[in-house]
Amino acid sequence: MTSNRNGKSGPKLTLWEKLYFPEIIHGMSITIRAFFRPKFTRQYPEERWVPPPVFRGRPVLVLEDETRVERCVACGLCARVCPSLAIDVQAAETELDKERYPERFEINMLRCIFCGFCEEVCPEEAIVMSQDFEMTFSNPKEAIFGKDRLLTPASSLKDRLEFLKQYR
Amino acid sequence: MIAIEALIKIVVLVVIILTIVAYLVLLERKISAYMQDRIGPNRVGPKGLFQPLADVLKLVLKEMIVPAKANKFIHALAPVISITVAVGALAVIPFANYIVIGGQKISLLIANVNIGVLYILALSSLGVYGITLSGWASNNKYSLLGGLRSSAQMISYELSLGLSLVGVLMIDGTLQLDKITMAQSGGLWNIIYQPIGFLVFVTAAFAETNRLPFDLPEAEPELVGGYHTEYSGMRWGLFFLSEYTNMIVSSALMVTLYFGGWSLPFVNYSALGANLAALVQFVTFFAKLGILIFVFMWVRWTLPRFRYDQLMNVGWKIMLPLAILNLLGTGAVMLALK
Amino acid sequence: MPKVTIVDDPANGTGKSIEVENGTTVIKAAARVGVEIPHFCYHPGLSVAGNCRMCLVEIEKMPKLAIACATQVSDGMVVHVNSPKALEARKAVLEFILINHPLDCPICDEAGECNLQDYTYSHGPGHSAFEEAKNKKPKRVPLGPNVVYDGERCILCSRCIRFMDEVAKDPTLTFVERGDRVYIDTFPGRELTNPYSMNVIDLCPVGALTNRDYRFKARVWETSSTESICQGCARGCNINVWVRNNEILRLTPRNNSDVNNYWICDSGRLESFRHVNSEERLNSPMIRKDGTLQEAGWDEALAHAADALKPFSKDEVAVIGSAYASVEDNYVLQKFARQVLGTSNIDFAAHVVEGSEDNFLIRADKTPNAYGAREVGVVSPKGVDISRIFDLIGSGRIKALYVMDDDIVTGKEVEDLLAKLDVLIVNHWVSTKTTQLADVVFPSATFAEKFGTYVNFLGRVQLAKPAVATLEQERVPGRFNVSRLDKFGSAFDRWNKGPRRNVRSSWEIVSAIGSLLGGKMRYDSAQKVFDEIAQSVPGFRGMSYAKLGDRGALLKKSKEEAMVR
Repeated sequence: MTSNRNGKSGPKLTLWEKLYFPEIIHGMSITIRAFFRPKFTRQYPEERWVPPPVFRGRPVLVLEDETRVERCVACGLCARVCPSLAIDVQAAETELDKERYPERFEINMLRCIFCGFCEEVCPEEAIVMSQDFEMTFSNPKEAIFGKDRLLTPASSLKDRLEFLKQYR
Repeated sequence: MIAIEALIKIVVLVVIILTIVAYLVLLERKISAYMQDRIGPNRVGPKGLFQPLADVLKLVLKEMIVPAKANKFIHALAPVISITVAVGALAVIPFANYIVIGGQKISLLIANVNIGVLYILALSSLGVYGITLSGWASNNKYSLLGGLRSSAQMISYELSLGLSLVGVLMIDGTLQLDKITMAQSGGLWNIIYQPIGFLVFVTAAFAETNRLPFDLPEAEPELVGGYHTEYSGMRWGLFFLSEYTNMIVSSALMVTLYFGGWSLPFVNYSALGANLAALVQFVTFFAKLGILIFVFMWVRWTLPRFRYDQLMNVGWKIMLPLAILNLLGTGAVMLALK
Repeated sequence: MPKVTIVDDPANGTGKSIEVENGTTVIKAAARVGVEIPHFCYHPGLSVAGNCRMCLVEIEKMPKLAIACATQVSDGMVVHVNSPKALEARKAVLEFILINHPLDCPICDEAGECNLQDYTYSHGPGHSAFEEAKNKKPKRVPLGPNVVYDGERCILCSRCIRFMDEVAKDPTLTFVERGDRVYIDTFPGRELTNPYSMNVIDLCPVGALTNRDYRFKARVWETSSTESICQGCARGCNINVWVRNNEILRLTPRNNSDVNNYWICDSGRLESFRHVNSEERLNSPMIRKDGTLQEAGWDEALAHAADALKPFSKDEVAVIGSAYASVEDNYVLQKFARQVLGTSNIDFAAHVVEGSEDNFLIRADKTPNAYGAREVGVVSPKGVDISRIFDLIGSGRIKALYVMDDDIVTGKEVEDLLAKLDVLIVNHWVSTKTTQLADVVFPSATFAEKFGTYVNFLGRVQLAKPAVATLEQERVPGRFNVSRLDKFGSAFDRWNKGPRRNVRSSWEIVSAIGSLLGGKMRYDSAQKVFDEIAQSVPGFRGMSYAKLGDRGALLKKSKEEAMVR
């Protein structure tokens, strides 16, 4: 009589299966085959992985190469769409044509879930997901990235910007 | 003289065994890794070979936390019982026949007790005290449950363990392990005569050593570590050591009882000279031991844990009847051949 | 009375019928039955222009669609608000407006409260048939000191022009140029400096007119809006207080036809909340020790104040209430004076700037609650008014003074008088000359930090709700109007770390001292205080916070009083 904890009868077993030991041998044959299979483990700190452009790493702000001005106009849509409330933007007025710029732009990397919604909603392609996924902090304050750490030259984000142009 | 000889043998054996145990941990981690398509520890030393040293160092340096409401004395005593019993059982295992130093014949058995098998069974029953007491002394419900499970499990499987051995004892007519080895060295290994007894013994041995698929006293998902939940540092380390030592004892017993101990078929040891023969025997024994330990680990990383009711069902409704049938069958055949 | 039927759901053809006065427009009749007809240029507070064509509706037996804002009802009229034809027309109007309206909602301050955005979302075509580049027009034009104009966003509804013309009676704005080059500007040589000029910002249905003070400071959806009462003068205009990160960012007028209609003056909008955000806010009770004011805990300061008042007889103490404080605060203060101190030396300081009133909203009395303070009894029947109190201090008869929520130091003489006092206890929200002379100072909550009622010069009792959290008052849904950030933020978030001040409402402070001196005055909340006022003060009989609602209620006057007025 086979029955599980709910009192329902379990699967019907053949006599061969009921003998149990043959099935154990079968199981062990599977693990021993795995034992001899080649391994693909990457030796991480020595062997680095370069993510493809489709990879969503840490969100960064795009800095135009020639003008050295951030693309961001501080519209706050990224902050609004962010499901984890990771982004905080404070806009201010500027003499530039874009009228407004982010006086403060902070992403709390402890809250960020790398969903990429901010990149998707951005009307200026000013916030994009970089290839950086290695982040460690020694205290919660360190995890709040301000403009100093977010601004990244467009030239070093070429892959992602290219990818966005192609698929979005 | 005899005392000094015994002391030297004890020290050498304990050192060798504990080193082996430390490396068994590494081996286990490597085996589990390979079975799970990983590489396992490879950072400490070449290929990770110094990992055990790091582990031991960590365990020794770590704080031993004692819960506020624990029974302090028993809490400290329990791991000592466990490791003592486990190491003690090694005394009667014949790793090789004998060596000759200065014309003197020195047996490679620490204690040539004439009831070796009984001695091991008795000690392994004592092992349950270490676990049960630790569970009780921790003053933690999970630990207590682990301890209780352990005693119930030990009692259930001790019966099958003892009865399954009786077949071997009947065939060889002795309780002395070196004599059982001798008896097999000439002819066929006992596993040929006692396949069912061997299966029951293996199963019971798994249960006795608290290894997967019978590690219900630990059962991390439900008992968060069971009897050693409240242990840390070297006290926990002692439990760990005793688990692996137990594994060595069980495997060594299996080698001795079923796989001809240090003997190899078709080898004439007298032609080799005593010391060379002892070396060959020693290597043979440890090779067999190694294979069995690998099987232990192989099973662990293949089978999931039994449910508690399944454990009891297997113990009482399958293993015990099988052991008794095996006993009766063996007796009947021996009677018929007489 | 013509009877009109408004059909807003095409699937359900029966609609809602209502009888309205002759001359009522369709859009008003529809509003009466709760149907909103989309519109841009129409505003209930202004004349009808009919230039946006957004409110086109289908009226049975009329050959063409009609604009609901300018069409008067007639008996038996059946209006189809959302018939396929009307919807088609609205779609076309929106597409037409959007030909030249820039699609820069992300950087537009109006986004989130923009009529054009909302209607485009609900009624718009979702595409444009035009590929040509949009028009270039003047951008970032300062029309006056407080208003900035963006010509490209302007949809030329003329609401701002009509407001300046009809309501402010100061025609300053006009259309210039023609055709698709039209934009709005001031008349040559003029600036938008009218004291009511900033109402055009609220009127603007799009983001063409923006508030210089608030421009780009926050997105609408990050802020919470709380119903409150303007503290700028005795008019008591109804307002909404917009708060983000526990900081007031702007005030906007709230419609109340009995008080301010849709409008508010610029100084009320810009100045009346400054003290809440002030850097000078007191943040802890203070006790004078060794000649200087030193911070102390609440319990210590309250006990100290009670002990300091104990030795004086009823003629040696005086109490000064405040027309800035709420009705509740003043009621508790006068109860404290009469029942605990046993004195009737009580009055409050008036803050009237003669000649500063106009004939629209602004009043000469610059306090929001003078009527209320008088009504609950912050007046001395024996004629010991504030000037007499000063006299008695000068002659040494009054030795202890309690000043609540007001700065009574108007000059050197008063300062010298106050220095003569043995004991001066002051509640205030900021550091003032009065608090600097005090022996015990309590930081009190401003109008934006507490529930409180205020009585305007016409005797209308109005409720202001808390918009800013204090240290002891958590910003929680149910008690506060909260934004998404308030609701989901945690203590670990920086944007949730706005200043939380260690202040208490004055009624709380005064009743605590009263209790320490043996008075029976324990209240859980301002509402409890108001309930007691509603029972004991005739003018407030039968009132409650729930009954005051959004519009407030008039004080009940006995017959003689009504005749005197």
